[in-house]
Amino acid sequence: MNLVRAELERLAARRFVQLMVLLLAVAFALTVATTLAGSHRPTPVELSRAQTQAADEVRNLELAHDRCLRIKAGTVTPDENDYLPRDCAQIDPALMDKLPSASDYLSGVFVFANEAEPLLYFLIAFLAMFGFLVGASYIGADLNSGGVVNLLLWRPRRFAVLGAKLGTLLGGLLGLSALASVVYLGVFWLIGEASGLTGRIGGAFWSSLAAVWVRGLVLVLLAAALGFALATLGRHTSAALGTVAAYLVVWELGARLVFQILSVTRPDRFMLSSYLAAWLSGEARFWDNDACSGDIAGFCDGYYSLGWAPGLVVLLALTAALTVGAFTAFRRRDLI
Amino acid sequence: MSAVIEIAGLRKTFHTLRQGRRIAVDGFDLLVEAGQVHGFLGPNGSGKTTTLRALLGLVRADAGRMRVLGAESPERLADVAGRVGAIVESPQFFGNFTAHKTLRLLALAGGVPTARVDEVLEQVGLRDRGDERVKGYSLGMKQRLAVASALLKDPQLLILDEPANGLDPAGIREMRDLTRSLAAAGVTVLLSSHILAEIQLICDHVTIISRGRRVAYGPVAEVLAGFDQHQWQVRVAEPERAVELLGRAGLAVIPYHDHLVVTGVVDPELISRTLGEQGLWVRELTPLRPDLESVFLELTGDHPHPALPRQVDGAPPNDGVIDLDVRESREVDA
Ligand SMILES: Nc1ncnc2c1ncn2[C@@H]1O[C@H](COP(=O)(O)OP(=O)(O)OP(=O)(O)O)[C@@H](O)[C@H]1O
Ligand SMILES: [Mg+2]
Repeated sequence: MNLVRAELERLAARRFVQLMVLLLAVAFALTVATTLAGSHRPTPVELSRAQTQAADEVRNLELAHDRCLRIKAGTVTPDENDYLPRDCAQIDPALMDKLPSASDYLSGVFVFANEAEPLLYFLIAFLAMFGFLVGASYIGADLNSGGVVNLLLWRPRRFAVLGAKLGTLLGGLLGLSALASVVYLGVFWLIGEASGLTGRIGGAFWSSLAAVWVRGLVLVLLAAALGFALATLGRHTSAALGTVAAYLVVWELGARLVFQILSVTRPDRFMLSSYLAAWLSGEARFWDNDACSGDIAGFCDGYYSLGWAPGLVVLLALTAALTVGAFTAFRRRDLI
Repeated sequence: MSAVIEIAGLRKTFHTLRQGRRIAVDGFDLLVEAGQVHGFLGPNGSGKTTTLRALLGLVRADAGRMRVLGAESPERLADVAGRVGAIVESPQFFGNFTAHKTLRLLALAGGVPTARVDEVLEQVGLRDRGDERVKGYSLGMKQRLAVASALLKDPQLLILDEPANGLDPAGIREMRDLTRSLAAAGVTVLLSSHILAEIQLICDHVTIISRGRRVAYGPVAEVLAGFDQHQWQVRVAEPERAVELLGRAGLAVIPYHDHLVVTGVVDPELISRTLGEQGLWVRELTPLRPDLESVFLELTGDHPHPALPRQVDGAPPNDGVIDLDVRESREVDA
């Protein structure tokens, strides 16, 4: 426990961590300031105009659906402007997840319900990068500055020392991320309340936002563990950065090109980024070049999708394997 | 007396991509008993630091048995780590922390009351500068901080690898006084250093390592005695006549420009009587005892050669292995 406390202090005292937290605060303040500057509370006139527009749009959708049904039934002949899906249910407004609402027709008004998710994604992206860099530099710098050696002279248990470091890192990061995201969303919600609209924030909204939040936090922790493991394996902060850069260039770009030249089926299956996207957004859809090659005549759905489950499995397995490798290597290694 | 450090047959080979294999420690033995201030000597690259690292579980030994305070190392090292203070080859500290914070974090991790921090900073003379960042410290100040970190645990055994590195003359003396007072308080000290006069002053026992092997060990006086050639420096009014007289008495004499050196005489009375009986009165009769430096240079084959710069790790001019074995067998165990 004392080891963890000491590590937590060490972590908090790192310049890099402080700098990144500061950067986060600055980015946060800037977003808040620009949002505040560009948003106002809609006047009743604006509001009622927007409501009429939204109601008109919904009516148009209903008319189009009706017309579709009637064309299919043969009571109306179609003209060239008609969009005719195979099944009219696809354009049935009653079945749509999101109908046009007044908030879509207000300009210069911040609507929390519409913006919360993209804002959260931005925060998660920042925190994941932060986690990776801090994870890598925390152990990398300590391995190089002799901090680990000093600590091992006090606690000659390598698993415990490295484990305390990783545990402290993940715990601290989780705390910081949870706090940051709650404060972040809270502030934007307040902006919505005070100088904009909160929009439709019912149970469905919160549960979908919570899902993104949980998936995001898991991603942040995975990124930190990955950075930590790579830097431990390579004994250097730059080993982690180098590995990621090399992976991106060689595999995500290079191999993708090669797959394209060789016309490999569904190359996205082999890319970590696909699993990352799948995990983060719940489902990722990719175009399959071969799916519709034989099918000229009718309708063909050339997309295939990756769900969050395989995404999580792949990311978790990769991180776990590297972490186990890092611990094993660290246990046997000569520390100079 | 109980053994505090026992090393038997320690072997460590480093494998590097470029140089291939490098044998750092080659069947080394070391015995340090409770209460000793034990000097650990050897030329650069002879394996001192590697030995200490292996003992402290920082590098993995290829062979050999090691015990610290009775606990097998590295398996059971954790049981005794709280009683072993160590610095290994100029420890590095995180530059952005103050000395105070560095020590406090170590104390926290090791379960030592943080009140010790001020005590040890005082002990090593850093009290007034303990709140400065370590990166602004001079070499000697960093070294003092390292010593402070080793003292923090209030150890029973103190392992100091070149603690005098970078210290000024006053610092070296303070280090010496500190070591002595710790020894007086019952702390066992293992001290490696290249300042042989210093070792001779502080240590009661020594172990000398050369190219990964022990070449001499035992109480300092005995190691020195093993190299005593019983030489005497003699000054008289008529050196030429004295050479002749002593030679006639069967003594080995080497004349120098203002004095003579007589070798192999246990009792100096023989010299003064031989000369006095012929009316030649001795003006000076001084024993020439070996010091640690000459013994060290002899043992490690590192006599400075006037023409060639000496190479680290280089084979001694006369590969002294046989010599050394003879010497080692001559030593008496305490
Ligand atoms: N990490 C390493 N990789 C390869 N060789 C090493 C390593 N560490 C030490 N050595 C080699 O092992 C030998 C012993 O080194 P060591 O540091 O133990 O010497 P030392 O007696 O402490 O020398 P010094 O008096 O200079 O401190 C040297 O030849 C050195 O080059
Ligand atoms: Mg050394």
